[in-house]
Amino acid sequence: MLKKTAINKISELAVQLMQKGTLIAPVQEAAGFNFREISDAKQVNLNFHNTILSPKAAFFPQMEDFVQYQTGQSIMEAVPVELNVKPTFLFGVRPCDVKSFEIMDIHFSGTGVVDPYWRARREATTIFGYAFDLDEPAQAEEFYQTLGIGAADPDGSDIFMIRKGETLLLKGITPKGEKLLTQLSRLADGSANEEEYFRNYISRGRDFKTRYTCVDDKNIAKKLEDIFDNGDFWMKVSDACLSCGVCTFVCPNCYCFDICDETLFGKGTRRRVWDACMFTDFTLEASGHNPRAQVFQRLRQKIKHKYSYHVRKYGVISCVGCGRCTRHCPVNIDIFSIVEEAMTV
Amino acid sequence: MSSSNPYIPIPVEISKIINEVDTNDIKTFRLTFLRKEDEKRFKYLPGQFAELSIYGKGEAPIGIASSPTETGCVEFTVQRAGTIVPGLVTAALHDMETGGKIGLRGPLGHPWPIEFLENKNIVVVGGGFAFTTLRSLINYMLHQDNRSRFGEITVIYGARTPGLLLYKDELAAWEKRDDIKTIITVDKGNETWTGREGFVPAVCKEVAPSPYKAVAVICGPPIMIKFTLPVFFDLGFYKENILTSLEMRMKCGIGKCGRCNVGYKYVCSDGPVFSLAELDELPRDF
Repeated sequence: MLKKTAINKISELAVQLMQKGTLIAPVQEAAGFNFREISDAKQVNLNFHNTILSPKAAFFPQMEDFVQYQTGQSIMEAVPVELNVKPTFLFGVRPCDVKSFEIMDIHFSGTGVVDPYWRARREATTIFGYAFDLDEPAQAEEFYQTLGIGAADPDGSDIFMIRKGETLLLKGITPKGEKLLTQLSRLADGSANEEEYFRNYISRGRDFKTRYTCVDDKNIAKKLEDIFDNGDFWMKVSDACLSCGVCTFVCPNCYCFDICDETLFGKGTRRRVWDACMFTDFTLEASGHNPRAQVFQRLRQKIKHKYSYHVRKYGVISCVGCGRCTRHCPVNIDIFSIVEEAMTV
Repeated sequence: MSSSNPYIPIPVEISKIINEVDTNDIKTFRLTFLRKEDEKRFKYLPGQFAELSIYGKGEAPIGIASSPTETGCVEFTVQRAGTIVPGLVTAALHDMETGGKIGLRGPLGHPWPIEFLENKNIVVVGGGFAFTTLRSLINYMLHQDNRSRFGEITVIYGARTPGLLLYKDELAAWEKRDDIKTIITVDKGNETWTGREGFVPAVCKEVAPSPYKAVAVICGPPIMIKFTLPVFFDLGFYKENILTSLEMRMKCGIGKCGRCNVGYKYVCSDGPVFSLAELDELPRDF
């Protein structure tokens, strides 16, 4: 089923979605675009290339409260924070970012202990994927196609959206998405021509080139394992790294977190917060020993985690080539160039 | 997992505190469950660990020192950490008294592979404070319901000084039994010490346990491990039959927070128990 709406009527669609639940969509902010919970339907803005932060916070917020407690009170009095998840619509997610959710699913709910927060939010959310604009060249930092993700890949979205001039085409991909589309009365039916445009756009997306040539993931994983002890290489590529961690914060696939207790005036919250393997104290032990005290060890960990350990553990690279880490690195470290260079060592 | 939400600790009460060493910085805490249903759900085997949780301070992953054959409670032997980095949880725990209530999250990680150990001769080698989950294993194997499932049991345990030996009463009791060979050594004795003196690797070499149908379970400080492993190689033990338990900084304990990896393995959820054959596949560094 193909539906459509005029781009300048997006806010009407947003209103309908807000009546059904929480709407999270791109909005323009001072520094650029980001996904935010929408309170005013007019904020929804699809005139973006991609957001500064990835949309992972929709399922894995930067701060997640576990328990509230008071100092001096017994543990019996501590109150777990209820997770009230409403139906949520995550609107306008680029295909590479949609792919990142599937990769995170393996870690948070597909293997071992299930993370109840990730799972509850994921189950409550309908994803509106949004194809990149194929008439605009890929940005220099992006390499999603290298990793096998098309610029208009509908895989993983419940509803997939393609822009055709001033019209937004929406197609149900999963039964959940199909069902929702039938309920959105603000949308008009797409024509046969638009159906064809939609199909062609997806296949054009497959050939849409990002800047690198493809490399086999098993080869990358193996090569990175082989050069673990090549200190000269890791020192060289991490020479400029400030260990600031911005690459991990903007990454759609970085999932490391800290669990900390924050107490103020006797009242406290135990919560998890995003953490970063790039930080010095990430692995600092109470004994004083720190197995990754040096910058090169931490950058090596970050790169190997994504392109080697994750492949060994879960069978898939933990990167979708969105390019955010490179785009936001203050010293222009380009993660995929390091991987490419590693292949030639 | 003993709670439906793996991040929320269950409440327990400190029912007994034992000061283990003469330096007063290692204590065993016996914890009893405040809710009957938690006790039923907290099923563990030797080698597993749990997060001890104190709201306002944090959590610390500690190996379970008691054996599951002891019912109604669970024990942890905890060193007060933090001469360099503040060890908030262990310090707070050491300042607590009997009757104090804390949180517990677990059991976590994989246990010593009990089925693999069955019908084999077991050589337990421990050094210093790392003896806790080995004590759990020994008490488990020695229990009347379990003893016949295992072959000969040899324990080689060393500490720097006599005052730093853990579980002194139990060591004495094991020494009296004839179904376990107990060899205790200290790096340096004192005027009252009549036992053996010598480093653990040297004692292992001297005792020379046979590799025939045997598994060595080794825990200790890195320096002890480093010099003990070659001894067992030379004795003819295969790498699959040498087991150890790793430690690393942890937070979640369930393989989610991304902190404790060595190569592609998370120490918390893939370990902490590994065979030497498994460790050989991992990077030598972190």
